[in-house]
Amino acid sequence: MSLATSYRAELLKTKRTSSFWLSLLGAAFIPAIFLLAYLLKPDGAARSMQAAPWNMHFFMGWKAMAGFLLPMFVVLLCALVPQIEYRNNTWKQVYASPQSYGQIYFSKLLTIHTMLLFFFVAYNLFMLLTGVTAALVHKQFNFLDKGFEVGKLLALNVKIYISTMGIAAIQYWLSLRFKNFIAPVGIGLAMLIGATVANAFDWEYIYELPFAHPNLTLEWVNKSTTYWLQPHEWNALGYFFVFTIIGFLDVRYRKEKG
Amino acid sequence: MSQLIVQTQQLTHRFSGGQPVLQDVNLEVPEGSIYGFLGPNGAGKTTTLRLILGLLATQQGSVSILGRDLKEQRVAVLRQVGSLIEQPSLYAHLTAKENLEVYRGVYGVDKIRVTEVLHLVGLAATGSKKAKQFSLGMKQRLSIALALLHQPKLLILDEPTNGLDPNGIIETRELVQRLNREAGVTIIVSSHILAEVEKMATHMGIIHGGRLLFQGTLPQLQALKQKQAFVQLQTSNNEAALGVLKGFAPERQNGHLLVPFTSQEDTAAINRLLVNQGIDVYQLNARTSDLEQLFLDLTSQSK
Repeated sequence: MSLATSYRAELLKTKRTSSFWLSLLGAAFIPAIFLLAYLLKPDGAARSMQAAPWNMHFFMGWKAMAGFLLPMFVVLLCALVPQIEYRNNTWKQVYASPQSYGQIYFSKLLTIHTMLLFFFVAYNLFMLLTGVTAALVHKQFNFLDKGFEVGKLLALNVKIYISTMGIAAIQYWLSLRFKNFIAPVGIGLAMLIGATVANAFDWEYIYELPFAHPNLTLEWVNKSTTYWLQPHEWNALGYFFVFTIIGFLDVRYRKEKG
Repeated sequence: MSQLIVQTQQLTHRFSGGQPVLQDVNLEVPEGSIYGFLGPNGAGKTTTLRLILGLLATQQGSVSILGRDLKEQRVAVLRQVGSLIEQPSLYAHLTAKENLEVYRGVYGVDKIRVTEVLHLVGLAATGSKKAKQFSLGMKQRLSIALALLHQPKLLILDEPTNGLDPNGIIETRELVQRLNREAGVTIIVSSHILAEVEKMATHMGIIHGGRLLFQGTLPQLQALKQKQAFVQLQTSNNEAALGVLKGFAPERQNGHLLVPFTSQEDTAAINRLLVNQGIDVYQLNARTSDLEQLFLDLTSQSK
């Protein structure tokens, strides 16, 4: 019995659930809006992206995502995976099966991150498709003539992914704690609004707020050329480890399971 | 005495520091038995079963399954146990086969076993129908299939016939008996319906108010029943009858006379004696207490 078997079971459970559709539709939302903008108002957009269209295109896409949609997606995803058990009243069956507490906890964590990666891949593909379609429809767009900086794009994605890890760990723990779907989502939303306000006021400790991390990554990428991890990204990783351990200990030592 | 599959020692449990919901419960489930775990709602049945499965952390006492301590070897113990606790635990958005497939890997069983258990519970033809579209009976059967997937040595069924129609109840009972007879599975079945448990159990545990009031074989229970049986009489002169029946240790109760039931012959002798003494017998019935009565007696004694 290994983590892999528990992980496989978890993936099977997500079949036909809203977490799959949320990942797909969430990934398609911004590319769809960009496509509409490019098709309806091509001139301005094409002109501003002449020099490095792909870099600009992907950067603007993430910028539109990072402030609100991406953190909110992570909040919802983290709530939906444990909700499969709560909604179906199946926790007791999970805990009465021969799986260690570690297997149970980490297989769900892996599932959430699999969906998150799926979201990232789908999002990039949709953005790619948006660029290609815009170039095919309007000649002003030079997406097809310009090179594609895979390394840069990958680095941007990795940085953004890391910036969401603190949020993901906190929200996963909250979603395991609360039977009610609304509670972790509500807390997540409140923290997100708090981080947005703190960001608007240029709060000096903004780097400490997990919900501000994706936005900070985008701000940093905009003004810097280095792709090394920044302090807030190390913070995100720190939050991830701390809250993952807290969540596990909470599950492990909870008196009443299922 | 055969080996004990489940043994709890002085199991005591309190919810958030209140009154104990279980007190010194020493459950002993012998190998190969169908153990009827009987008690009214709120008696502590589900709490006991949840403790046995490790769904509740033991506060006091210990649980040993197949000779292993649950706390020490939780995963190894659970590999031998199948369970259905309270409501069916199924993924409503998945089909019967998919529900079993989720646990197939966890239990490490072959694909063929999924088909086998589906046939066993009569759900092989449900195809792409999702569990949410199942009737309660079908859900219950699928839950039993899930509990049987890994051919457990011990099967724990908490109120498995709850909400089922008479046909479903009979089917479940037959399935339990067949599994016990053919596969040698030890089965704990909890219920608050006495007649139902009596029909399938070989052993019985009666719990009330968190205490185990009786535990033993069905014949032992029936012997206890016998002991608690009475002959109830109403005569034209109860006062005189009391004197006549002195040798039978009669008692007066609510305008009736009660005489401990010993045998049918003695009952006939009581009647004869009264008639011979010129006392008219208006009513004579042996209250050979059924399980219901016995249960009420046991539980009222415990108060």
